[in-house]
Amino acid sequence: MRLLIVDDSSIVRSRIARLLGANGLGETVIVGMAKNGVEAINLFVQTRPDVVTMDLTMPEMDGVQCTEAMMRLNPEARILVVSALSDKATAIKALQKGAQGFLYKPFSDEQLLSALGELMAEA
Amino acid sequence: MGDITEREIDVFLKAVGRYFEQITEEAALVQGAYLGERGQLPLTYDFTGMIAISGRYAGCIYFSAPRQMIRHLLMAMHEPNQSDENLIDAVGEIANTLAGNARAHFGEHMEISVPISLAGAPERIKSAVRARPYVIRVHWKHYEAALIVDIERKD
Repeated sequence: MRLLIVDDSSIVRSRIARLLGANGLGETVIVGMAKNGVEAINLFVQTRPDVVTMDLTMPEMDGVQCTEAMMRLNPEARILVVSALSDKATAIKALQKGAQGFLYKPFSDEQLLSALGELMAEA
Repeated sequence: MGDITEREIDVFLKAVGRYFEQITEEAALVQGAYLGERGQLPLTYDFTGMIAISGRYAGCIYFSAPRQMIRHLLMAMHEPNQSDENLIDAVGEIANTLAGNARAHFGEHMEISVPISLAGAPERIKSAVRARPYVIRVHWKHYEAALIVDIERKD
């Protein structure tokens, strides 16, 4: 399973990578980490991930636009939105653009692993 | 401009407590909000994360914390990189998370910016919209930080 991590916070990116490294979800390989939507699209094309963790509030291109672009490039990819935006309208918008899951920040280690595990089982 | 209500301030109180509990399994102690000094922001700690608010609301939300508290928080997250760059990133991420969580109550029409983070006590920053912004003192372990809510509703 190939995973791309997208978040403008370096501590969130490294936390997700560290958690997966420590708990090894199947044969997961982190193929890239991006700090904004534009970088994420470039890495998505280059690395062809199966699963993406996607922040929403980011500079240059936000996570909803990025999700929509990724779904056009590869509708088979699974996207887990990991965001602090806790209003229902934002979650619905992200799901309508093609995301398959939504995890609210702040998240516990168990919540992230469970959400990613479910998405990977579907991929 | 319309004032925000006590119930709306409570949204931020709960968000702070929950943040620390979820990340470290030890909730932060918050003992209510008070009105700060006229025009002054008590951003007296080492690092500050700021989120600009727009849409149906205007103003800013700040999270300001001492270096040792952020270092301790990163240790609790098993983050080995304790560089200033990461400490600055952390206060921005906390401010972003608290503002984002508040949208569960305020709705999507409270638009939030990406975080702007600063090192050092920014004495020159004045309140953006409120004459007296709300100050929430945050106690976690033996540290103290501040969440400052300087927002109003556009009527």
